Amino acid sequence: MHAVVFIKQVPQQNSVKITPDKQIDASGIEPIISLFDEYAIEEALLQVEKNGGKVTVVTIGGEEQIDALRKALAMGADQAILVNDPALRNIGSLGAAKVGAAVVRKLGDVDVVFCGKQSTDDETAVFGPAVARYLDMPVLSYVYKVHELDPGAKRVVVDRAMETTTETVEATLPAVLTTVKDLNQPRYPSLLKIKKAQKADIPRWTAADLGLNTAELAPKVTYLDRVPPPPRPKGSMIDGGSAQEKARKLVDVLVNAQVI
Amino acid sequence: MDFTANYDMFLTEEHEMLRQTVRQFAEREVQPFIRDWDREGAKDESDMAHVRPVLKRMGELGLLGICIPERYGGAGMDYLSLAIVCEELERIDTFLRVVISVHTGLNSLAIFQWGSDEQKQKYLVPQAQGVKLAGYCLTEPNAGTDVAGMQSTARREGDYYILNGEKTWISLADVADHFLVVAYTDRSKERRGMTAFIVERTFEGVETHAIHGKLGVRAGNTGSVVFNNVRVPVANRLGEEGEGFKIAMSALDNGRYTVAAGATGLIQAALEASIRYAKERETFGQPIAQHQLVKRMVSHMVRKLDTSRLLVYRAGWMKNQGRRNSRETTLAKWHATVSSFEAADDAIQVHGAYGFSDEYPVERMLRNARGAVIYEGTRELQELLQADFAFGFRENNLLRRELPAYDPAEWSE
Repeated sequence: MHAVVFIKQVPQQNSVKITPDKQIDASGIEPIISLFDEYAIEEALLQVEKNGGKVTVVTIGGEEQIDALRKALAMGADQAILVNDPALRNIGSLGAAKVGAAVVRKLGDVDVVFCGKQSTDDETAVFGPAVARYLDMPVLSYVYKVHELDPGAKRVVVDRAMETTTETVEATLPAVLTTVKDLNQPRYPSLLKIKKAQKADIPRWTAADLGLNTAELAPKVTYLDRVPPPPRPKGSMIDGGSAQEKARKLVDVLVNAQVI
Repeated sequence: MDFTANYDMFLTEEHEMLRQTVRQFAEREVQPFIRDWDREGAKDESDMAHVRPVLKRMGELGLLGICIPERYGGAGMDYLSLAIVCEELERIDTFLRVVISVHTGLNSLAIFQWGSDEQKQKYLVPQAQGVKLAGYCLTEPNAGTDVAGMQSTARREGDYYILNGEKTWISLADVADHFLVVAYTDRSKERRGMTAFIVERTFEGVETHAIHGKLGVRAGNTGSVVFNNVRVPVANRLGEEGEGFKIAMSALDNGRYTVAAGATGLIQAALEASIRYAKERETFGQPIAQHQLVKRMVSHMVRKLDTSRLLVYRAGWMKNQGRRNSRETTLAKWHATVSSFEAADDAIQVHGAYGFSDEYPVERMLRNARGAVIYEGTRELQELLQADFAFGFRENNLLRRELPAYDPAEWSE
């Protein structure tokens, strides 16, 4: 089977700065693979280990995204592709999904597409469902457990985790699955694969390689304003001689704050 | 702030990914439990149940054979990677780094450097894979820095040596499967009469006992190993008869390197904890980070961190090149360990009374840092060595067998 995982590199903390033209400035903040995408990588690896085949990780962005791809390779992905084209810098979630769909079409033999339920920076949760729409594939969002993924029978059965309920659903393959936290336990990069990942040849694809007309990818949503997250409120220390005394004071604070 | 940035003259992207991986492991799988393990380890009746599962995980991740070539079961990374593993492990707790020091630094690298191919296949491969654990037995109840004062003996009898003696302060004493043991085969020749052996725990006459009541590294196992008429096959002699002292000292060049790197990680942990606390804690109407004398303690920690790291990476770079590095390694070990104790001490001061309890990690750092100022060459020994190198009384002399230089292609075969 061939599993494709779309990943995105995001700032580790949301303490980003907003520039005067309402763009996000994440300089100085360590970039990491978006939380939910790590679960997507792990699930793809698990399913391919079970069924045989290969995992391709893909991201859209500049050269700085290479670190995320190399980490996915070090976790065990077989190949990585960076869609890097200056014309694709500001395309929004739907535009990115069009690019994603074009990547899947170009790869051709894809059985399943994984991605996180949303990125932890933009949080639009649009990418996965939109890729499915553009490819005319079923979409299984908020996947919490994969019961069965059988590329031979072209069948997938998963649990979807909703706010308060879980539902078990079946769909045909190929399909798009978006993953939630704790679907699995993402593995650490393997030391042997870290070395190989650094040497791996990662092809760069452009909009032209994908046969895309970049004019059609212009964002349909314009950001009028962005308010940075408020600074973390200051903590306060509870002083006291003994643990009991401190605990009593803490209870008072919590009662006054109507927490308990 | 990223205290490991701007070391590009030594490090690559590969090192950075390794650092993130080891950090994730230590923060996820050890940090949440370490206070309890440290408390538990202080009890006489403690069974140290956490030790084996953690070592098993370290083995699965490839950390135990980090700088051993792939053909011997290792991860095939370089000697700087060994330092990074030690830094990141000791950033969370010293007992993790101690495992690397004895298993990888003192034992496995000695077999890699001095062992026959049969010994490498039989002992190094399972050790590098983390399937078997290894310790290093040099110190005795009456012989520490004065190695020549040791009393252990090995008498040749046909195809065997009969080993007798007691070794103490042995890390992983109750856990290790293999021990590298140094004993006299000819006492009249003094240092030139010592020989090194690979001894398996299962050999008849090997007994181990845990040491309780330690000031620090309470989450780790330390003990005595007693050899009572243990029959060690001649095939298990490491190097030649009479080479034991040189092997022991060359092993210490690698062990001390891991200790220095670990101490650097501990300094970073002390610094990070101090920064976090000093920004939160307010006195006299402002965060204590704004007080000059707190700033001084933090700035001294930064100086000690960067100087220690630079000394460690220089020694690692020399190991990668295959250059003798006793002078550089002992300097790094001396500076980093003494600095780590001072940094932990200042970190407690920054934390005030809270630093005096195990509610915060800094008191554990102080207790853990103290041992490294003694073991693998005391502070005083390192001082004497540096003076002797400076005066020209001592040189980085070549050995019959050197630690092989790092060759990325060959190590990935």
